Amino acid sequence: MTAPLLEVRDLSVTLARGGDELPVLDKVSFDIAPGEVLGVVGESGAGKSMAGVAIIDLLVPPLRRSGGTITLGGERLDLLTPRQMRRVRGKRIGFVFQDPMTSLNPVLTIGRQLTDTMRRHLPLSRNEARERAIAWLTRTGLPNPARVFAAAPHELSGGQRQRVVIALALCAEPDLVIADEPTTALDVSVQAHMLQLLRDLHEETGTAMMLITHDLGVIAKMADRVAVFYAGRLIETARTEMLIARPLHPYTAGLMQATPALDAAGVMRVKAIPGSMPGLGATPPGCAFHPRCNRSRDLCRQVTPPLADAGGHAAACHFPLRQEVA
Amino acid sequence: MISYTVGRILQTLLVLLVISFIAFLLVATLGDPLGLLLPPEASLADRQELIARLGLDQPLLARFLHFLGGMMQGDFGLSYRTQEGVGAMIAARLPATIELAFASLLVTLFVGVPLGILCGVRPNAAISRVVMLVSIAGITLPNFVVGVLLIAIFSVQLGWFPSFGRGQTVDLGGWTTGLLTLSGWQAVILPAITLAAFQVTFVIRMLRTQLLEVGQSEHIRFARARGLSERRVWFSYAMRNALLPTITMLALQLGNVIAFSVVTEGVFAWPGLGSLFLQSVQSADIPVIAIYLIFVGAVFMIINLIVELSYPLLDPRLRRGRA
Amino acid sequence: MKSFLEALRGQPGPIAATAFILLLVLYAFTVPLFTADPFSMAGMSILDAFTPPLWMDGGQTAMPLGADDQGRNLLTAMAYGLRTSIMVGVISVVIGLVLGGALGLISGFVGGRTDALIMRLADVQLAYPALLLAMVIDAIATAVLGRGRSNEMAIAIVIVSIGIAFWVQYARTIRSSVMIERNQEYVAAARVTGRSNTAILVKHILPNVMAPVLVIATINLGIAIITEATLSFLGIGIPATYPSLGSLIRNGNAYLQSGEWWISLWPCLVLVVLVVAVNVLGDHLRDHFNPKIRGRS
Repeated sequence: MTAPLLEVRDLSVTLARGGDELPVLDKVSFDIAPGEVLGVVGESGAGKSMAGVAIIDLLVPPLRRSGGTITLGGERLDLLTPRQMRRVRGKRIGFVFQDPMTSLNPVLTIGRQLTDTMRRHLPLSRNEARERAIAWLTRTGLPNPARVFAAAPHELSGGQRQRVVIALALCAEPDLVIADEPTTALDVSVQAHMLQLLRDLHEETGTAMMLITHDLGVIAKMADRVAVFYAGRLIETARTEMLIARPLHPYTAGLMQATPALDAAGVMRVKAIPGSMPGLGATPPGCAFHPRCNRSRDLCRQVTPPLADAGGHAAACHFPLRQEVA
Repeated sequence: MISYTVGRILQTLLVLLVISFIAFLLVATLGDPLGLLLPPEASLADRQELIARLGLDQPLLARFLHFLGGMMQGDFGLSYRTQEGVGAMIAARLPATIELAFASLLVTLFVGVPLGILCGVRPNAAISRVVMLVSIAGITLPNFVVGVLLIAIFSVQLGWFPSFGRGQTVDLGGWTTGLLTLSGWQAVILPAITLAAFQVTFVIRMLRTQLLEVGQSEHIRFARARGLSERRVWFSYAMRNALLPTITMLALQLGNVIAFSVVTEGVFAWPGLGSLFLQSVQSADIPVIAIYLIFVGAVFMIINLIVELSYPLLDPRLRRGRA
Repeated sequence: MKSFLEALRGQPGPIAATAFILLLVLYAFTVPLFTADPFSMAGMSILDAFTPPLWMDGGQTAMPLGADDQGRNLLTAMAYGLRTSIMVGVISVVIGLVLGGALGLISGFVGGRTDALIMRLADVQLAYPALLLAMVIDAIATAVLGRGRSNEMAIAIVIVSIGIAFWVQYARTIRSSVMIERNQEYVAAARVTGRSNTAILVKHILPNVMAPVLVIATINLGIAIITEATLSFLGIGIPATYPSLGSLIRNGNAYLQSGEWWISLWPCLVLVVLVVAVNVLGDHLRDHFNPKIRGRS
């Protein structure tokens, strides 16, 4: 196995509230190999987006990174100064934001936002940057790229804007792209196109990707490997086909039975499993999933299960599903 | 875009026409020009002759048209107080007021804008807290009290600046300027600060609120996620968004600034339009007041129009006829 | 009243502001009860002219804050001046409220052309700041009534000028409230059952506009007091021969140059404390009754 591009070890994020530090992410560890697509899946509030934001060190107080190491290509990102970190963002790690309607600056042209980003990281003249920007707009499948270059965000549709957001994340040719729910805010009809685009660009550029989504269907199509988050913890990780064929954690199994849907409050929830994920600071002792799990026993209520690796397939469960099958 | 511009200009002209009519009504119904212009021993024939010459026997609308026509030709009527032409009186006072406004604009730009950015970018820094605290004074202190306090400290106690007048002025072909002499600059400093006190605080608070709001927006996070420098994020990405509402609100405050210029000129005996207006109010010199109101209304409307029409330069969302 | 007290609960700033206002009102209305009017011959003693404050050379215990050019005890004179300023402020706010309320009600109930006319008038008036308008109205009054006016007349003119300059906000608030209520079904029902407009007004519209009108009135009180002081300071409002905070500051301003700072700075200080207290209270009430705009500067 090649050396991983990104190594995350024991990453913890906390939220300060009234003197308390509530855990948002609890010692999460995972790797991404060069050129690999890691799918990160979980319900709203499971901490999956926080993991992405924590890697590029853009958590906003009261959220903060409270521990763990992040290594990108052998370099410890968690030890960098803010100035050094700014050279990593965009240049080595691209980030695709969720909502294309709000993530573009409304008063600057698309071209300005693209060329600013490229010239920040690459030694390009004004004209070269312009040419490259138009080439990127072409690559993302935007019609009439020269016109889009001069356009302001409000002149584009949601799908077109998301293509621009993807171009912005990729234009400095990063080694890793973190895409946080890149299709959630889009019309269903556009979602498939956007996934196809991400896939094509991934294959063309060979960049690694951390694809954060609540949708296992997206994971199945896109990801080489999956990491399942629950209540701020990583509870299962395996190659996609292994995990889908044979989930070990009861939560993953439940997740596969019903792709989460938006509830009345617009929050992604898994309806097939009774109950709901514990809120911030309300994580029960032991396995966080035990109140909703029909297999839970005393052990589950008392001891937090470690992530146990068995042949490249790791799950944090005292009584994983495979044991019954075996 | 062009039809919109023309529409807005016509609208402005219409409002100005209404204001002119109200001002005309003031002149037409108040005061007694005959009593002022005629010697007490004047005969009835003199009286009739003057009435005809001033057009006072005409119907109201005809007199209004005459009034408008006169303004077009630079005839703004006669002051009851000094018997001078109102146009000439205003022209003589205008340079002083424009220079004061210009100086206070400089203060606003070089004090208000940097402090506003500071308070918006570093809201929790000690300096920002001090600035915000002091800025409360600028909002709540009555304008003339600011002037009196500045005079008490910098003119009486420290003796740095004069407390009244424009200092030495130089006549540049009808435009008297105080900005070419040292004493002129010394004289303009305290009035300019007094007049700017309100605008400076206003700009600080507006910029701060706007920058705080923009700073939390998703597109600024995305700009950071692309590794853009903090300088670029704040000064070209966030400022662009914060500037527009600030300029809009400032333009809407222009009326207050005009009122404050009257007060400031009164406090510092600054020989500008505001002082002229004050003297006219004290002596109920209606023709001067009427023309002043039209003039102030026109300035207010035109600046607002210019601001509004220049929005598209700052905000592409308002650019039409593209894409 | 109850909701007013509720709005203050646990708010040290606004409570302090209210306390300051009450203290100043007490000072302004009790001191004149047992002192001679310093603006009458009996109240001044020309020998004491320019007495400095107590802690300076030549200070007198009888005049702890010093005396002015006519030998008026500033501590007493300011109470008289403050009394005038508060009364002018309050009465002019009431005039603005009554005028604006009436026009707003007419606008809302009658609608149509009357409404359009009143609201366009409001628009044109808004192009000019209240201070400028008050000055113009003052000048018009002078032109109509002639120049020789008594003190009482001058005060009445100032009050009316400020009142007229402030009617727009009340009119707009009450009009929009009437517009909303007018179309409610229960108003139609009340009409059908034969209730008069007045009854509808008292029962349905008044309770809705009380809070916003109270807030506007409090904020305007601060502006009205500043406007009076500014007018009087500039020599347009209350004459120097009659005490108000503005005329006291104007009078003292003449002696600022020669070093007698106390004549103008004490009334300045009282004015600032009064206005800041009223503003703090007004801002708090606004935030309390309209949580939507809370947190904006």
